[in-house]
Amino acid sequence: MTRADFLSVLRAGLKGLPAAEVDDIVADYATHFDEGLALGRREEDVAAALGDARQLARELRAEAGLRRWETQRSAATVGAALLALGGLATVDVFILLPLLLVLALAALVTGLVVIALTVVGLGMLAGALPFGHATHWAAALAGFGLAAGGVGVGALVLLAVNGALTLLSRYARLHYRLIKPTTSP
Amino acid sequence: MTESIQIQLKKGALELCVLALLSRRESYGYEIASTLAVAMGTGEGTIYPLMRRMQNDGLVDTHLVESASGPSRKYYRLTSAGRSAFEAQKREWRHFVSAVSELLGESR
Repeated sequence: MTRADFLSVLRAGLKGLPAAEVDDIVADYATHFDEGLALGRREEDVAAALGDARQLARELRAEAGLRRWETQRSAATVGAALLALGGLATVDVFILLPLLLVLALAALVTGLVVIALTVVGLGMLAGALPFGHATHWAAALAGFGLAAGGVGVGALVLLAVNGALTLLSRYARLHYRLIKPTTSP
Repeated sequence: MTESIQIQLKKGALELCVLALLSRRESYGYEIASTLAVAMGTGEGTIYPLMRRMQNDGLVDTHLVESASGPSRKYYRLTSAGRSAFEAQKREWRHFVSAVSELLGESR
């Protein structure tokens, strides 16, 4: 693999990160090549010693995604963290991928239940208008209860996703494979 | 199995080794990478993600130094947080090593 190949594989793998960050990372590796070449090493040797560019990119992106989620917890950064872990899961199909799928499925199902509860509840509330009659009041209260329950369960789901992500990110960080040398010294 | 134990051990010690290197003097990516590659047999590419993490954690900061020959170098230098992290991790490491040695039956 030449310098140009390595850098383009790396850049392609980092797609999705902020452009400035990608440039910064690629520049680090470009400089590494330049230093190595100046010392008389061959491009192929430098590339081999650096390791698998695609895996490096995956783990750099995972780290960036996790960090964004850790410094700023929001729905958008939860997405970023999930994507980051998803990238790693493509090479960790035995543990990380199943766990991630289960988490996503559970969040999806409970999310749908929450939405259904809220919609039905609000519907009953709206259907009970105007509050003239006693039965209307009962329906309105029931609707309000359902909607409130939906929101409450939703909050619990967010907490659960948060906890699960924390655990998964800890696992993923422990199992980064960056360390693995591709050439024996 | 032994290979994976080695990998785990190196992974655990890598940050400590970088801290140790930088506690002696500031250094740039290529030098850190090649020193550790020789000393520990880690992939050279490993260092850059680690340096980014350490920088984000505030353990090191960077500055560019123009070099007469070749590209300008990004030098890494320990912050005061980095120095105290080094002292703390060094203590933990010594603790750990002596506990393992004792269990292995090697009197010290």
